[in-house]
Amino acid sequence: MKFACVIALSLLAGTAAVSAHHSFAAEYEGDKPVTITGTVAKVDWHNPHIYFYVDVKDAKGGVTQWKVEGYPPNMLVRQGWKKDETMKVGDTVKVFGWRARANPTQAAGRDVTFADGKKLNCGPPAGTGGQ
Amino acid sequence: MKRVLASFVAIGIALLAGSAIAQTQKPTLKPVPRTADGKPDLSGVWVGGGFALLFGDAELEAIKQYDAAAGRKPLPPPEPPPYKPEAEKKRQEFLARKGIDDPMARCLLSGVPRITVRPLPFEIIQQPHRVVIIYEVHHGFRFIPTDGRGHPDDMEPSYLGDSIGRWEGDTLVVEVTGFNTNTWLVGVGTFHSEKLRVTERYTRDTHDTIIYEATMEDPEVLTKPWKQYATLRLRPGERIREYECIENNEDIQRFEKLLQTDFNK
Repeated sequence: MKFACVIALSLLAGTAAVSAHHSFAAEYEGDKPVTITGTVAKVDWHNPHIYFYVDVKDAKGGVTQWKVEGYPPNMLVRQGWKKDETMKVGDTVKVFGWRARANPTQAAGRDVTFADGKKLNCGPPAGTGGQ
Repeated sequence: MKRVLASFVAIGIALLAGSAIAQTQKPTLKPVPRTADGKPDLSGVWVGGGFALLFGDAELEAIKQYDAAAGRKPLPPPEPPPYKPEAEKKRQEFLARKGIDDPMARCLLSGVPRITVRPLPFEIIQQPHRVVIIYEVHHGFRFIPTDGRGHPDDMEPSYLGDSIGRWEGDTLVVEVTGFNTNTWLVGVGTFHSEKLRVTERYTRDTHDTIIYEATMEDPEVLTKPWKQYATLRLRPGERIREYECIENNEDIQRFEKLLQTDFNK
């Protein structure tokens, strides 16, 4: 498994959306998208954001753990997520998101693709928080 | 309804306009419900912002189809806040710091009108003598008497202020005052003084929608009244859930570190 940085600027429609909790730009860089593929190590199902941790193996067998921020549980539940069921420790996932400004292994997650191909949003588009 | 509609949430318009999902079902248009005294009944669970965060493409398309079937007009983009020069300078400083000073990010209760457009629902309970609004976000609540009483004479500055309501035809008009200065109006850096007064107008223009108009007046920092609009959308089958923001708010600590960095580089 590997992770790859997507260099291309990702422009999403409607990035002036309101924020669930804080300004996207306060902590994340909308021009630095990242795709993380690995194994779920931990899920913190808490307000005001969930965090899940993904172990990413490199070619030499080393492991880097990424921390991914997502919506609060209430917003995830309304989009089809279930605590302890949708994402479990050990699941293989591919996460798309944007890099944190202060932590090189943290990202704001936008969506998660699971091993069965199911894809769910897990966080807001880049640039949210203007309202 | 001749009024030209506008919205806080340009996101909704942008996404609705750009959507290209095939329509599968023609929307059903029901009449606006009314209470026994003939007033439009605003009761129900509503959401006023963040539609792109809450809804999938299919639901956004259904909203678009509903608005078209109901003859609702598209909403123009919001106007920038009319700050006095010194106040605008301060707002720009907040913007340059990328919203890191946002009270909301520290789990403080959002004020009026911002709480209306947070992407979590709220329930309106309309009674003959008052309207109650329960917000999922921060467990916020407002009691809005509509029996003719005025503001109390012992108000303390507060996040949601003190509200009194009255009916003007089919529109609920709410006067809000008594705010503290710990909230932003709507948008990054939109601070205000304790002289803030907000006039809200709730008009249920269709069964599934309320036109929400908020006029903000603050002679301390604004040059003129600032008017903003939003569409509130009915959420049938939805319920208000618990939302305890401070539970695991790591942002507070991370902000302290980020504040040591140069935000303009």
